[in-house]
Amino acid sequence: MYRYDEFDHAFVSARVEQFRDQVTRRLAGELAEDVFKPLRLMNGVYLQLHAYMLRVAIPYGTLNSRQMRMLAHVARRYDRGYGHFTTRQNIQYNWPKLSETPDILTELASVEMHSIQTSGNCIRNVTADHFAGAAADEVADPRPYAEILRQWSSVHPEFSYLPRKFKIAVTGAPSDRAAIQVHDIGLHLKKDDTGALGFAVYVGGGQGRTPLIAKKIRDFLPEEDLLSYVTAIVRVYNLHGRRDNKFKARIKILVHETGIGELTRQVEAEFDAIRDSELKLPEADIRAIETYFALPSLSERPEGWEALARAKKADPAFASWASRNVAPHKHPDYGMVTISLKPIGGTPGDASAEQMDRVADIAERYAFDEIRVSHEQNLILPHVALADLEAVHEALAEAGLATANAGLITDIIACPGLDYCALANARSIPVAQEISTRFGSPERQAEIGDLKIKISGCINACGHHHVGHIGLLGVEKKGAELYQITLGGSGDENASIGEIIGRGFEPERVTDAVETIVDTYLGLRLDPTETFLAAYLRVGPQPFKIALYGEAAEAA
Amino acid sequence: MTRIWKETGFLDNDPWVIETEERKAGEGERAILGLDAFLGVVSDSNEIGFGVLIAPGEDVTKLQACLDRVALVALAFPAFNDGRAFSHASLLRGRLGFVGELRAVGDVLIDQIPLMLRTGIDSFAVTNEVALKRLEDRRLPAIDLHYQPAARASADPGGFSWRRRATPAR
Repeated sequence: MYRYDEFDHAFVSARVEQFRDQVTRRLAGELAEDVFKPLRLMNGVYLQLHAYMLRVAIPYGTLNSRQMRMLAHVARRYDRGYGHFTTRQNIQYNWPKLSETPDILTELASVEMHSIQTSGNCIRNVTADHFAGAAADEVADPRPYAEILRQWSSVHPEFSYLPRKFKIAVTGAPSDRAAIQVHDIGLHLKKDDTGALGFAVYVGGGQGRTPLIAKKIRDFLPEEDLLSYVTAIVRVYNLHGRRDNKFKARIKILVHETGIGELTRQVEAEFDAIRDSELKLPEADIRAIETYFALPSLSERPEGWEALARAKKADPAFASWASRNVAPHKHPDYGMVTISLKPIGGTPGDASAEQMDRVADIAERYAFDEIRVSHEQNLILPHVALADLEAVHEALAEAGLATANAGLITDIIACPGLDYCALANARSIPVAQEISTRFGSPERQAEIGDLKIKISGCINACGHHHVGHIGLLGVEKKGAELYQITLGGSGDENASIGEIIGRGFEPERVTDAVETIVDTYLGLRLDPTETFLAAYLRVGPQPFKIALYGEAAEAA
Repeated sequence: MTRIWKETGFLDNDPWVIETEERKAGEGERAILGLDAFLGVVSDSNEIGFGVLIAPGEDVTKLQACLDRVALVALAFPAFNDGRAFSHASLLRGRLGFVGELRAVGDVLIDQIPLMLRTGIDSFAVTNEVALKRLEDRRLPAIDLHYQPAARASADPGGFSWRRRATPAR
């Protein structure tokens, strides 16, 4: 993974001191809250319902055991002993003191971490496929480009006061695990006919109150033009994005209102003017960044095949975990392990300091010191020998981290909701917990198969409900919480926005409604290999509407 | 009170006046015209040394044909969070090759000034008291290492092509 050089260390330290100065001025009353707000947000400090919240970046989701131990230390020393991994490959601490945030940042800087641009109207933490560098289907590792973008966007003088936040995601595989089509810029790394690397460029995707799938504006952008092209897009956005209404300020609205043809013309014209500028990436620099992300040297471990088969036969719990939470690695003797942060009835994405320490230990011992954070709020060990899976499973089980539900109905994404968030209209976590508990039995989950439930506590859609196979959106109606259900959304390479199925459900009825939807699916699927999403795309919303609201409602 | 600051310090006798209906440049003063007013005047005149105000929604490339006759461009920051003028500055310096004075006017705050300097803005009409105080003390909250090139001249710190190091003010 990327390691800071002297320049990076000096930059991050200077940024921490700059922020310390801002906090000092705020506490001394020299800075009004409205002026301090964008400054603290650009360093990941929010004012939430009960306290300040600090959001720390885990760039493109990659970290090592030393960094994970630091995250545990921060949770223990400055917070209440836990942290919350988010859908954007960040970790949030819910209870830090404002006066201590500069100290936290100093501690994080010691392990090459920061909270730069985890919020604010600037270019945010760049995200990538959590299986990057390990997945069997990958064309090339997207992280070197994410790292180049991370550096280039840090404290960018022209782009720190954009109309609204700006999110970039990169994937290097045909299976899109980074949800690039619901980002402001989505980059799909690929090769052209000559084998040269470049990107398909998507612009204007996003969720929130106006969910839109991104439009492709370039089929192939040579890798050397990455920074020039992204600069062109962000400049056009900075100049022309709406600033009169924060709900219409994202680039997706500019794309929608300008039209993709005209916007593409503007971006290409800007790009033409700067394509041969000092932003052009030298081949040597790209390759030098790439070497930081080299695959660890994986020795042949063919004994794992037999060991795995034997262990699966002996232990059904291990067998179901290995089949759900281990995905094929590009090396046949290895697997990619998903550590579920979705225990049955738990809070999605939360991990205790002890659990973080345990994951660090396991990564160090069995996984080449590499850990990933997925946008689905789980942790990943990207390189584990099949021969070590049993030991890893046992160690995870001791830490309460061996839930065998990756991709299943209880692997729920949920935003913090009204339990923490100042923007929320409704709670998310208790709904996730109740659904998780209702469907908690391993047999029942296995019978249902792949199914993504995503829950947001307000229209800002941090829980990605628009791209959930089943999405739940908490709204407030006459002072009471109500959950609107969408079906058929998807965040992968066939991205789609879910359709609202009908009127919403009260908190005490929403789990029943989900169960009705699931039972309807089980009744109409062609066979157990037809997933919920495939079945929904085949039959459409009608059978689900009838099951939820009755024939009469359907007629009306 | 608004004071004009440059990296060399505060200016005591700045002649520029943003012209409005009520306020016109008088004896010994120089006028900053709105973009449309400037474009109207400039074609019928052989004058040089104009001052022009660019509002956030205006297109700076309209200045291209007559930029050599402009001595000062004032860029409006109506609110500290309206960042359009950062792009105007970048375009004026980088694309249009403007070498005259580039002035930030409006809501100019201390935490934005280091970024403004990097995009090529070199004079500042400052009203905010905290900003004035910090500028008097020469305490700019700047980071001297940069991860991207910008209009303002900088040094090559070695290493990756996109990195820069601040050089002292000219």
